[in-house]
Amino acid sequence: MSYKVKLQIFEGPFDLLVYLIENAEMSIYDIRVSEITSQYIRHIEMMQERDVMVGAEFLVLAATLIELKSKMLLPRIKADGAVEEDPRAELAQKLLEYTQFKKLAAALEEQMDLAAMKLVKPKEDLAPYTGEPDEYLNMDRDRFIAAFKAFIHRKRKQGELAAMQSGIERERMTVSAKQSAIRHFLRRAKGRLARFRDLLLPDSDRYDKVVTFVSLLEMIKSGVIGARQEGNFKEIEVEWKPQGRQAAKRSGNANKKNDQISL
Amino acid sequence: MPTKKTIKSAFESMMFVWGEPLDAKMAGDAMGVDKAAAEGYFRELRREYDEQERGIRIREINGKFQFVTDEGNFDYIRSVCTPVRERRLSRAALEVLAIIAYKQPVTKSEIDSIRGVKSDRVIDGLMKKELVEERGRSPAIGRPVLYGTTEVFLANFDLRTIKDLPAIEDIEDAIHFEEAKTVVEIRQTSLDLEQ
Repeated sequence: MSYKVKLQIFEGPFDLLVYLIENAEMSIYDIRVSEITSQYIRHIEMMQERDVMVGAEFLVLAATLIELKSKMLLPRIKADGAVEEDPRAELAQKLLEYTQFKKLAAALEEQMDLAAMKLVKPKEDLAPYTGEPDEYLNMDRDRFIAAFKAFIHRKRKQGELAAMQSGIERERMTVSAKQSAIRHFLRRAKGRLARFRDLLLPDSDRYDKVVTFVSLLEMIKSGVIGARQEGNFKEIEVEWKPQGRQAAKRSGNANKKNDQISL
Repeated sequence: MPTKKTIKSAFESMMFVWGEPLDAKMAGDAMGVDKAAAEGYFRELRREYDEQERGIRIREINGKFQFVTDEGNFDYIRSVCTPVRERRLSRAALEVLAIIAYKQPVTKSEIDSIRGVKSDRVIDGLMKKELVEERGRSPAIGRPVLYGTTEVFLANFDLRTIKDLPAIEDIEDAIHFEEAKTVVEIRQTSLDLEQ
């Protein structure tokens, strides 16, 4: 059985690197890259040997150090005699910022310890004095107003977005259901001609129109109904053909797979 | 119009009952004086308490005023009761808090980049302690959340405003000195290469 102990010695790769640099008494502006890189890698190996979780961040910095090391081996003078920037400058800048905040963190800690010596009385329940419910919104007026404005703004935005979009509705009617509805309707019409628009639902949408039309085509194909249209965009007139019913039964199953149409 | 003496006396009573930091504007509204005047009276009161070296002092946080005990009496208070001390913040938490305090409003990725390590969990912890809060979103790509410190932070660190944070200059001075030293060294390396 193995057990793991989590020791948070170094807060991150910079933390370890700063420790190594300080230990070697180097300036962060003049890191002896090769020396520090081998120390850094040795440290990571040690952490791995002791089964300490080594985060990917540590490995990224190791790679950066190795890259720096190789760059340091190349001459830094260009053909025109200009000196290229020190390849360590970027790392130095990062380390500088990090150490700065490390120091500020230490200063904050001191400040907090001092502040902790001043004690305050926790707020007591003031409800007996005010007769108000004892829930208070812990917020000043300006921030409350700002929050309310933000809320109104968001609501309006949402409304605008909703107006720009149209919802996708569930498919309600299948072609076969529509077919039987049409059959029912025409049978009640008792041989009279029906117009296409009579077959639509009262609040017909695009989906209903398409389903109705496809159903109509299916029924014409199987010869259950007859339809005619005098010209483009003219009324489609539909008529029940009782003699076509046997034909419909024969081809009925073949249509199953076209039941659902997608828009 | 109540006299200055009445107003100060009233403010003192209000602070006593309120316990929490009392908004100068709110107290001023009750007495018919504006915020600036109210703050003036509160600060006068504070000076009086300081001059008389009272065991109770007045602390200012972000335009709010609160009674606190004198820090010099901490050990004596401890001998009659053990005040509950907040659990200390971890080093990681202090690092993140320092970054947020000095760079606010700041995004998570800026914090990560300074520390070289992910700070999500630390930030969540600080939010739970109400030391930091979300401050809207940055207009940058992905609209990342911005973080800033809260009034609880000011109170816990005994700061009047965020400007009272320990100065950053002292630390920077030390660094400039180091920088000047290294310029010379770099020049020498380039001479070597030219030979």
